[in-house]
Amino acid sequence: MAKEMVLSGCAASAQAAKLAKVEVACSYPIRPYTAFMMELAKMVANGELDCEFIHGEGEHAQLSVVFGAAAAGARAITGSSGVGVTYAMETYSPIAGGRVPLQMMIADRALDPPGDFGSEHTDAMSTRDQGWLLGWAETPQEALDNCLINYRVGEDHRVLLPQMVCQDGYFVSHIPGPVLVPDQAQVDEFLPPYKLPHPLDPKRPVSHGPQIRPDQGTIMDMQRAEAMLAAPQVIKEAFEDFGRIFGRKYSFLDQYKTEDAEIVFFIQGAHAFTARHAINHLRAKGVKIGLVKLRFVRPWPTQDVAEVLSKFKAVGVIETSTSYGGAMRGGNLLHEVRASLYDCPQRPITTSFMAGLGGEVIPLHEFYSMAETLSGYLKAGKAKKTVHWVGFEAE
Amino acid sequence: MAFNIPKEKAVPLGCITPAPVTEQPMMITGNWREYRPVIDHEKCNLCMNCVVYCPDACWQLNQAEDEVVWNWKYCKGCMICVNECSTSALSKAYELDFEDGVVRLEKPF
Repeated sequence: MAKEMVLSGCAASAQAAKLAKVEVACSYPIRPYTAFMMELAKMVANGELDCEFIHGEGEHAQLSVVFGAAAAGARAITGSSGVGVTYAMETYSPIAGGRVPLQMMIADRALDPPGDFGSEHTDAMSTRDQGWLLGWAETPQEALDNCLINYRVGEDHRVLLPQMVCQDGYFVSHIPGPVLVPDQAQVDEFLPPYKLPHPLDPKRPVSHGPQIRPDQGTIMDMQRAEAMLAAPQVIKEAFEDFGRIFGRKYSFLDQYKTEDAEIVFFIQGAHAFTARHAINHLRAKGVKIGLVKLRFVRPWPTQDVAEVLSKFKAVGVIETSTSYGGAMRGGNLLHEVRASLYDCPQRPITTSFMAGLGGEVIPLHEFYSMAETLSGYLKAGKAKKTVHWVGFEAE
Repeated sequence: MAFNIPKEKAVPLGCITPAPVTEQPMMITGNWREYRPVIDHEKCNLCMNCVVYCPDACWQLNQAEDEVVWNWKYCKGCMICVNECSTSALSKAYELDFEDGVVRLEKPF
């Protein structure tokens, strides 16, 4: 039987790793993700989890250790936050290119300078073009579920890609919430044992990561692109099985009160939680507003975004990451949203809101003001600009 | 998605190849070293340090002859083997002092 517990995101992720029977974990401290490793270390010390627990000498080493472990055929996990995520940047492409499906738990933290402990998605979003699956959890429950779903998808032989399983620092990683911790038998049914088709094995020596010729480079890239293109179908299958086994239904885009909505917030991660409450209050005042929540940034669900968002009249993308000098002058999600909608005959008005940067809370009144901006654009028939720095706009 | 990949350009999944039994003749990487390790078989006690420590598997045990053999095609001259040799059987020698010494890349990449 599944067990009801109250867990922080870090503790929920550790429960997930334990249920996934991770065989190697590599740690290096940086808050807020550290609490995840503390939980795992405790499980190993108490004999609850049979796992090689290794201390890396930095994030680059952490990723290199789990790269080797997963290449040798062990289910491996590591994690980081903020500048730790970017310090390991060099390792992301070889791991994805080598098709080694290890997992990294990320509890977001704003990047320096000068040092801000708060949550912001820029750390993991900066790595989005390396060939890793990438997505966010809204609650500790989703943090647990995403770990299992990502292992299953990443380890599928049609995909074989590493995964960044992200959760907002503090908002998810440290605020306890209700979590249904599934039964081991359920997880065993959902997640088959890890089996790499090409493991390091002294009996059958292979060379990982050899030098290739420049004329082979395109082919390597094509392989990775193909794996990423195969991922959505595998994710769909995983969602279906997950719903059947655990009773929680997921999809690429979770929708909240969108049936008769004219305007929607498009968001990922922890702040969707507050956004739902804001939507309830706005609806009580007669605003036809809903919410669309993104689960995976990579692979980007182009088709789903086009189909779902083209139903509405105005979409406000809430960006919790930055892309300085980008086409939309704000974050990255609006780029992807607009590109997904380009071929639709009916396109909604789209704009973006920079909110929750540096780990700031997005209070209800900021959601109200975003909704007001969207309603104004709807009345005017077009958006005045592509980005709004919420709370700091002069007009 | 279907790709048309010419056979001669095919790359295995994740570029994982049998090793170290296969050498890629297209990828000779030992042609830029400045120094090479030289072995004195009299002093060698087959401790296998060179075999284990070489980052490019350029020292292999020849079991028939009972001696370690150097692979000149992939040795970069890093001298880790010379450093790790337990009996000082390995020494460092200037590449151009040898008649077959490598001078430069024969063709650019």
